[in-house]
Amino acid sequence: MSEAKTTSLYEYHLSKNAKVIDFAGWSMPFSYDGTLKEHQYVRESAGYFDVSHMGRLRLSYSQIEEINYLICSDLKNISNTKALYSIFTSEEGTAIDDVIFWKFNDDLILICNASNTNKIKTHLDINSIKYEDLTLTTDLIAVQGKDAIDIVSNIMTVPEKFSTFKEGKFVYARTGYTGEDGVEVMLDISDTLSFINELESKGVKPCGLGSRDTLRLEASLPLYGFELTDEISPIEAGLKWTVTNKDDYLGKDVIDNQIDSKEHKHLKRFKLNAKQIARTGTKCISDGVEGNVTSGNISPILGYPIGFVLFKSNPSDDLVEFDIRGNLVEGNLLYKRFLK
Amino acid sequence: MSETKYLETHEWYIVDGENFTVGISDYAQSELGDIVFVTLPEVGQEFSKGDAIVEVEATKTVAEAYAPMNCVITEVNSNLETEPELINNDPVGDGWMVKAEIKEMDDSGMSYQQYESFIS
Repeated sequence: MSEAKTTSLYEYHLSKNAKVIDFAGWSMPFSYDGTLKEHQYVRESAGYFDVSHMGRLRLSYSQIEEINYLICSDLKNISNTKALYSIFTSEEGTAIDDVIFWKFNDDLILICNASNTNKIKTHLDINSIKYEDLTLTTDLIAVQGKDAIDIVSNIMTVPEKFSTFKEGKFVYARTGYTGEDGVEVMLDISDTLSFINELESKGVKPCGLGSRDTLRLEASLPLYGFELTDEISPIEAGLKWTVTNKDDYLGKDVIDNQIDSKEHKHLKRFKLNAKQIARTGTKCISDGVEGNVTSGNISPILGYPIGFVLFKSNPSDDLVEFDIRGNLVEGNLLYKRFLK
Repeated sequence: MSETKYLETHEWYIVDGENFTVGISDYAQSELGDIVFVTLPEVGQEFSKGDAIVEVEATKTVAEAYAPMNCVITEVNSNLETEPELINNDPVGDGWMVKAEIKEMDDSGMSYQQYESFIS
């Protein structure tokens, strides 16, 4: 195997005593002060994440029709200042990747999962869509938290929620993956360290992928490879709200059928009334319907174990029995988000 | 009290006459990350060497602590029920897990120096 890739901040992360893990071929910080502390920084003040491992592709605006055909959302008709979460769908209606588009007047920035960058590039190649890969020449820093917007407003113009902006060395959008407000900022690798230093001088703490995962889970957000895979459609993953594409797009027939029939797999949220965590792969049963846990961890804010489970069909009962290493543990399906 | 010994499965134990105290090593807690739940055994429960006696749920993964020798549990650190982070903060002190009466002495654990070279 080739050596893991590193972001421009790698040495800096090590100097901050980060614990480093391999993730999708990258050596990335897992934690600095500990996952729970970093979780609290974001929920109570602000933290920043180096997410430069995520793929960043620049696409010319002129290809928007062709791109719109590959995703289940309407990228074409939203205004040119919007950031859009969407899903590249296959002919079978399954998720190739979940991505963010930053829409500008002259171009589009596509941000994809690190594990899927090559897959997305191949998919674009096959569909004759041209792109410029910015992944190695730029960094991507997510600033997230209760106070994130207050703090970054001292550094840059803050756009409306889910909107994009370009200003000086920053290309960014007011989006995030933690359930808190914040911005995700792309900048040239030569500018990253001074930006990080400015954030830290304003009290923004470095956070790793460990807390990014507990934050996104608690915020009821899916993670590709777990809640979403190339065997699951956006409908099955509970992401019907992303299906806004009015035109024809790849996999539309399958997805429309699933919406009509409701006969498909169902991703549900659960909580456990126990001191055990039902982790990825844990089997469970509800109302005779078998399920598999896709992600599970403690909710640091709620104090109990939560997670997502994928059922073969829609169970009509909210009681679930999990088999955690041979012990049967009861839980409940939740029909609302974990956090309000 | 004798010296603190370590097992290859990353527990520490310390023998005091007929009894011992057991917990997990600083290295183990650091590898596990934030510990959020601890499931302790009942006082009076009997275990053989190598049996899982404590289950530790951390944000990163789940782990078990194993009995260093045949024993009967005499006391559990019930502070861990509400403050599992004691294991992260002070693994070989306030983060101790259980005390037990020795049924069959087996003091074959590693010294701290041996354990240090084992984990490095």
